[in-house]
Amino acid sequence: MDKALRNALRELTSSDAESRRRAMEPFVRSTFGIFIRHLHRYLGNEVECEDVLEDVYADIWENPDHLRAIDSEAQLLRTVYLYYMRKRLREVYRRMNRSSYLSANDMQNLIAPELGLCDLISQTELKQILHRLLGKLKARERKAMELWMAGMSNRAIANQLETTVGAVKMLEFRTVLKLRRMLKEYCEED
Amino acid sequence: MANTQREIQELLADYAGALRDGCLPTFLKSLTREEARRISESPDFWEATEVVRLMNSAGFGDNVVTPDVGLFISRVDAAIASRSKQAKASTREHSRSQVNSQ
Repeated sequence: MDKALRNALRELTSSDAESRRRAMEPFVRSTFGIFIRHLHRYLGNEVECEDVLEDVYADIWENPDHLRAIDSEAQLLRTVYLYYMRKRLREVYRRMNRSSYLSANDMQNLIAPELGLCDLISQTELKQILHRLLGKLKARERKAMELWMAGMSNRAIANQLETTVGAVKMLEFRTVLKLRRMLKEYCEED
Repeated sequence: MANTQREIQELLADYAGALRDGCLPTFLKSLTREEARRISESPDFWEATEVVRLMNSAGFGDNVVTPDVGLFISRVDAAIASRSKQAKASTREHSRSQVNSQ
């Protein structure tokens, strides 16, 4: 773990509120990128990510007990997600329960799920793994995924692949499930 | 999302699109009772959402990092100051009520 982050964590878990407040700046500087990318996985919206993260940091300042004895960035991310982020993520969409037919449990699983496959690996490693796994797919599957990740709509992907939108959605669904099996194997090997 | 009887692969595509475009609430609101039941009963959908989240993060996660962390830090500091003030006010309120009761 980065020295600045280690020092900030030590200060952050002190009993004095003012010391914790001073420690927040180096802590935010060291962790902002990691935390906001992680939140983006669940929300996909930068403005909401920043709003949630602001509350997460204030919650950490108020009650930093869970952050004692953190040894690695992965452990830090896991702890912050489980004890601070999930609570705030659930609040973001709690109001949506009123206008959605999804059950509260399904809503929670969609918005603030348990940590899943490869959820704690770094952004760089995630990109490398996905790149490697995409290389193992059939050419058509890989192209559909790459175009999707490049930001293209399903209609544009269908035009590129010279097929229908419905066929693209089915191709993506099957390919995503195939990628999941491959990811699972990768995580189990690791 | 006009189709009201979407199959599970269409629901996943719409979820993935909504997540990518940052408009999950629109997707959630668009679900009919039948589609919500379909999602609930499909283990494939739940497994696929895990991968969609990872792909979304790998593809677009880097765009989310704000260039001005300093500005964000001042927002966090203001939130902390506000909570600190609230905590002090509630402590004062508490001790005043104790004095009054004596």
